[in-house]
Amino acid sequence: MLRDSAADFVRASTDHKRLRKLRGTSPGYDAALARQMGELGWFGILVPEQYSGLGLGFAAMAVVVQELGKGLLADPMVPIVVLAGQTLRRGGNEALKERQLSGLASGSLAPCVAWQEGLGGLDASAIETRADATGEGVRLVGRKRFVAGAGGATGFLVTAKSARGCGIYWVEKDAPGLKVSFEWRADGTPSGVVELDGVLVPPASVLTAPSAQGLLGLERAIEEAAVMASAEMLGVMEAGLQMTLEYMRNRVQFGKPIGSFQALQHKAVDLYVQQELARAVLGEAVQALDGGASGAESSMIASRCKSRCSDAGTRITREAIQLHGAIGFTDEYDVGLYLKRALVLSGWLGNASAHRRRFAALSAQHAEV
Amino acid sequence: MDFPTPTQDWNAMTDEEFRRRAADLFGTHVPRHLCHLNRRPRWAEVKDWYMTMSSHGWLVPGWPVEYGGMGLSPAKFLIYVEELERSGAPRVMDQGLMNLGPVLIARGSEAQRRKYLPRILSGEHLWCQGYSEPNAGSDLASLRTEAHLEGDEFVVNGQKIWTSVAFDATHMFALVRTDKTVKKQAGISFLMIDMNQPGVTVRPIRNIAGHEELCEVFLDNVRTPRDCLVGGLNEGWQVAKALLGFERIWSGSPRQSILALLRLERFAKLSGKMDDAGFVDRLTQIKMDVLDSASAYDRFAQIMRTGGSFGFEVSVLKIWATETCQRVTELMVEAAGEAGTLTGDVDLGGEAIDILYPFLECRAFTIYGGSSQVQRNILAKSVLNLPA
Ligand SMILES: Cc1cc2nc3c(=O)[nH]c(=O)nc-3n(C[C@H](O)[C@H](O)[C@H](O)COP(=O)(O)OP(=O)(O)OC[C@H]3O[C@@H](n4cnc5c(N)ncnc54)[C@H](O)[C@@H]3O)c2cc1C
Repeated sequence: MLRDSAADFVRASTDHKRLRKLRGTSPGYDAALARQMGELGWFGILVPEQYSGLGLGFAAMAVVVQELGKGLLADPMVPIVVLAGQTLRRGGNEALKERQLSGLASGSLAPCVAWQEGLGGLDASAIETRADATGEGVRLVGRKRFVAGAGGATGFLVTAKSARGCGIYWVEKDAPGLKVSFEWRADGTPSGVVELDGVLVPPASVLTAPSAQGLLGLERAIEEAAVMASAEMLGVMEAGLQMTLEYMRNRVQFGKPIGSFQALQHKAVDLYVQQELARAVLGEAVQALDGGASGAESSMIASRCKSRCSDAGTRITREAIQLHGAIGFTDEYDVGLYLKRALVLSGWLGNASAHRRRFAALSAQHAEV
Repeated sequence: MDFPTPTQDWNAMTDEEFRRRAADLFGTHVPRHLCHLNRRPRWAEVKDWYMTMSSHGWLVPGWPVEYGGMGLSPAKFLIYVEELERSGAPRVMDQGLMNLGPVLIARGSEAQRRKYLPRILSGEHLWCQGYSEPNAGSDLASLRTEAHLEGDEFVVNGQKIWTSVAFDATHMFALVRTDKTVKKQAGISFLMIDMNQPGVTVRPIRNIAGHEELCEVFLDNVRTPRDCLVGGLNEGWQVAKALLGFERIWSGSPRQSILALLRLERFAKLSGKMDDAGFVDRLTQIKMDVLDSASAYDRFAQIMRTGGSFGFEVSVLKIWATETCQRVTELMVEAAGEAGTLTGDVDLGGEAIDILYPFLECRAFTIYGGSSQVQRNILAKSVLNLPA
């Protein structure tokens, strides 16, 4: 049912012309559509009922995100609903959680997580941003990068370190000392650069107090978001492959549809194999997240999932260009939009290479236990 | 029009001396602001550079001296190309230099050579290549743009597409259908067309990297004099294939992969990736792919240098060079992680590198000039002798 309503939404709302117009603008997605998604209740899918959410699981979330991915419409979902929502859920500040999560579920608030710095990477604790204690709370000093969803964010969950370890702090988007600028991703959507020049955080805005375990909740949320980004990637690759098969059926060269050439048939089949591997590992990862698999187990399947989906998504959409010939190399033709979205999703929250390394490290740890 | 008189017998120089001269000339004159440009420059931007090269007699290394080229031996030609690449020189309007010139030299009349070659050298005529059509890509012979004679003129009607930089061109050389009653390849002629006339409409098409380079060209009762036919009537298919020596292996040159590899290595040093054994293994693998691409190219170059000839096996070069180049850019995107998916110059700790543009640009290398699949078909059929 959820799949049907998401598919209906995508059918009614997919508009690649609008997407092209939104490139290079902030927030990079259509605010009216995001409002509709909110009205459909999708922002509340993962939010527990006690915070006015639907309290559904990742299986439901994955279905919606995958469908939205087919129409290149998923953009505000994963950064806000999954990454920020799940980070909030695991925070220790009940009043802040209550306010932010119910706002998120209703679509009135759009929190984002600002955790990466420098050249990025998956190690959430590899940060320089400091939280310096003052009389009224702490002051944040640092520079965050690769903040997805930053364009439409109402505020940021910022990671910072102090003598006691790393903590997570809530900062409103117009807080004095906060500056948000953008770098532009392959698909023209903004990636936030968040500069904190002594931003004051009162005790009431500390989501997670600094400690050696202060980022565990975030790390878990990153994993969950990586799996949901993979679900979006599955939608992107499915649409990219469908479009390509359709073209191969219709494009005639040498008196035949090019899809009749065995060399191209085998190419298409290889892409299909990748898509089905992605679907299988995603299914297993979603089950692990919903079924309460142990930390190590779900971490490993999450990395396997993100790695496969990143590779499959970029490979399928790259080959889609080749199979289209010159028309695939144009901006006017839609298949290129799918390649660019696939690039963005493959890089975000750790690309295939980063997750292979993570998987190897986790396997080694697992073997020791 | 006269041809500029040659100033020097370049081939009499030692290779070292010639290399020094080339490096000197390019180094002095290459416009710095256009070096290693991340898009194809417009004519207005590169005109001065083109004219400088032309006035020094260094514009076309491959044409014979009597037509204003440098008449370089294959060995010297290679050095020329290496040094030009090293200098980072921008790409100029090169269809006249690389394609039409050699075709006229091989198959044109003396009158055509005297009329058109000097005007290519002087930058008065800027050419584009009008081969592909909406329904004639890999299957070029099925092209439909047609021409018929009316008195002393051909009248041309049809549509060309993917015509690179047609908006800056003054002229187009085109393949057109002049006989519909015979086998497809046997009814095609090679025509030169002045673009500056009513009936020629050029529409730019934005490419995947966001730049305008490709065009659609509509030809509606466009006229061209009978003496703009190159080769005989219905001989266009053979004429179009009459490329000279190095132009045949050019599309298999390792230059693009070498440039991409240099960028990747610079990035690896800047980002500390060289401490990562897993990455170094992959980098080394791709580096060897590039070096072997260069070796394969040199092997064919050596055959040319010594006056030998080769057949369809040359397709190996283009497949490996272009696909390797793509893999280099893919590794770069992957190695850069989050930063690898940003557009434009990305700050990688002190130096800005554009990661995405080369990745997107080289998607086209395996599509034009005979796609990777078409090259494989050629090898399977004509070299491996597999049945149809
Ligand atoms: C950047 C760029 C610049 C260009 N510049 C020019 C120019 O200046 N002038 C000009 O005339 N043209 C130009 N072209 C066009 C180019 O020559 C064509 O793109 C090329 O011939 C392929 O044709 P197509 O794009 O119609 O693809 P198609 O021929 O439709 O091919 C689509 C897909 O089918 C595959 N395929 C086709 N036939 C077979 C087969 N028999 N067996 C197996 N696979 C097959 C192809 O490899 C490709 O993957 C340019 C193209 C590009 C991308």
